[in-house]
Amino acid sequence: MTTGVVKCQDLKKHYRIGNTVVRALDGVSTTVFEKEFVALLGRSGSGKSTLLNLIAGLDHPTSGSLQIDGVELAAMSAEELSRHRQRSIGIIFQSFNLISSMTALENVALSMTFAGISKREREARAAHLLESMGLAGRQTHRPKELSGGEQQRVAISRALANNPRVLLADEPTGNLDSRTATEIMEVLKDLNVREGKTVILVSHDAKLAAQYAHRTIALMDGLVQESAS
Amino acid sequence: MMTLEDSIGLSLRNLRQSKLRTTLTTLGVAIGIASLSGMISLGIGLQDQVVGRFMQSGLFGNITVTEQSDLPGALAQLGQRGGPRARGVRAGGAPGRSEVRLDDDAIRRISQLQHVREVTPNLRLPVEVSLGEFSSPVVATATPMSSKGEGTFQTFSYGEFFRSESDNDCMLTLDMATRIAEKDTGSLIGKKLTLSYAASQKTPSDSIAGGFQVHRTGLQCRIAGIVERNPGAVGPGGALSVSGVMLTMGLARAIDLDIVTSPQSLLRDPEAAKTYAAVTVKVKQSQYTQDVEDDLRRMGFQAFSIDDALRGAKNAFIVLDIFLSLIGSIALTVSSLGIVNTMVMSILERTREIGIMKAIGASDNDIRWIFLGEASAIGVMGGFVGIALSWVVGHVINFGANIYIQNQGGTPGDLFSLPLWLIAGALVFSILVSLGAGSYPASRAAKLDPIQSLRHD
Repeated sequence: MTTGVVKCQDLKKHYRIGNTVVRALDGVSTTVFEKEFVALLGRSGSGKSTLLNLIAGLDHPTSGSLQIDGVELAAMSAEELSRHRQRSIGIIFQSFNLISSMTALENVALSMTFAGISKREREARAAHLLESMGLAGRQTHRPKELSGGEQQRVAISRALANNPRVLLADEPTGNLDSRTATEIMEVLKDLNVREGKTVILVSHDAKLAAQYAHRTIALMDGLVQESAS
Repeated sequence: MMTLEDSIGLSLRNLRQSKLRTTLTTLGVAIGIASLSGMISLGIGLQDQVVGRFMQSGLFGNITVTEQSDLPGALAQLGQRGGPRARGVRAGGAPGRSEVRLDDDAIRRISQLQHVREVTPNLRLPVEVSLGEFSSPVVATATPMSSKGEGTFQTFSYGEFFRSESDNDCMLTLDMATRIAEKDTGSLIGKKLTLSYAASQKTPSDSIAGGFQVHRTGLQCRIAGIVERNPGAVGPGGALSVSGVMLTMGLARAIDLDIVTSPQSLLRDPEAAKTYAAVTVKVKQSQYTQDVEDDLRRMGFQAFSIDDALRGAKNAFIVLDIFLSLIGSIALTVSSLGIVNTMVMSILERTREIGIMKAIGASDNDIRWIFLGEASAIGVMGGFVGIALSWVVGHVINFGANIYIQNQGGTPGDLFSLPLWLIAGALVFSILVSLGAGSYPASRAAKLDPIQSLRHD
């Protein structure tokens, strides 16, 4: 864990609601290293999801520097940002965000479609990923036919489809019962340990974070309060 | 970047998700396209009915030439509608009638003009035809060999066209043949028809009468063929050379040399070159008709072709086509608004889905192409269905109209004509209109903020 995969320097994200300026991030400086499992902790509104969106390239910072693998995200065009989301980042959401009209296999294959991978190759890879997640028999099922835990496994498979170096998990266990939550955290830990994926987990559960993460970064009012190993 | 195949696949998949809405929108486009192509095909059909019949008559590419001011009244005015060039020649002082005579020398000079295929005099000979007990005065016309297979001479009821210009042959129209032999018209082929006319003979200068003596003479001609139609009334100035009795050029020239048609013809100097009331100039290709007409006017003749008369008709049809297209476009405009509405609704329903796609790597262009793909798929389907609808409705109307026309004693024809270029054009236009209508929703979808979209319920 020597190379900095994600580097933030005085990162700010301000936005305006009516006449009020909301300082979602107000000068965050931190580094996430390769193959590290980092948990971003904080209460609702602390800025942890905003930081995750900036790292994902879904949003633009107001000021400061944000580098992924040494490349400045703020300098990227919209097209480059979409390639960044395609290849460098895999995102896992609290509410799974699967497309309801698609089967599990189609959902996983979709992110490879945008990367221009051939149909045969993406279907084979999607099937392999679902199998590795224990969903071999659920490939043709639509999201509503799957349990919460199964849906999140499909979402993790989709995040892994283009073999990204960094996995961003935004409260992935928030909608799951404790037993399923543990299973999902085990999957993420396994991906970090076995496959060397850098995992950035957003959570408000400090106990769960401490159990699985190498390091926790506590955010409050858009600032890093504490960074502990 | 997503491949075109995947983009189309996703678009079609999205359309299948909302079958009813897609079907209704497609039906709207289909009605728009059917309305537009139906209106245009009506315009084409009507134009074909009018212009096409003239084309079939073989009149295109024929110019009737007369000496200056020989064309009577309205015909002379039509002959002057040769455009600015022709008027310019006239204003510049073309040679008068006394200088330019329409004689054999003029025919030779006209034959040498560029793009001219053939020049033949329009010989109209007042004769009396008789066969057995039948006898009737008619105006016989000369028919050149080049008319074979053209216009009226495309189909024969009995017999065939002349074999040689020098034969003493004649052809009859079916009307004339029926008058001669009502029951067994076909048996007339090969029989000899007698042509009687007044001829002049110069008397010795010392005789009491002094000058000319008129006497009745006759010639026989073999009936070679009987043609079905007699569109002679269509051709102004005898351009068609079609009448009840049609003679070979050789026979007609022989009669024309000594026939007496009026007291004035008796006074003609037999030593002077024979002049003609009119000659017909056939052009190699009809697009050169105007050029040859201009050349003839420069030579000091009056020239008139059916193209002159039809030019106005063609312009009128262009205006009619535009008018009909505008009416047809109203339905297509409404249906294109339907596409915009459908797709805007689709974006609202799929906002979260668009956000997910962007979060997992779809670019703005990927999203744009998915929506444009949906719009063009609606256009393709609407185009095909619309053309089919137009074809069916057109045929039904054609069928009904033809029953009415036949009952009224008219000639049936296609009021609606759907040529291949119109089918292809309607299809392309349908896709273009759909793409145009889909471009705003597609652009709107592409510009959606992924974070806001992911929060959308």
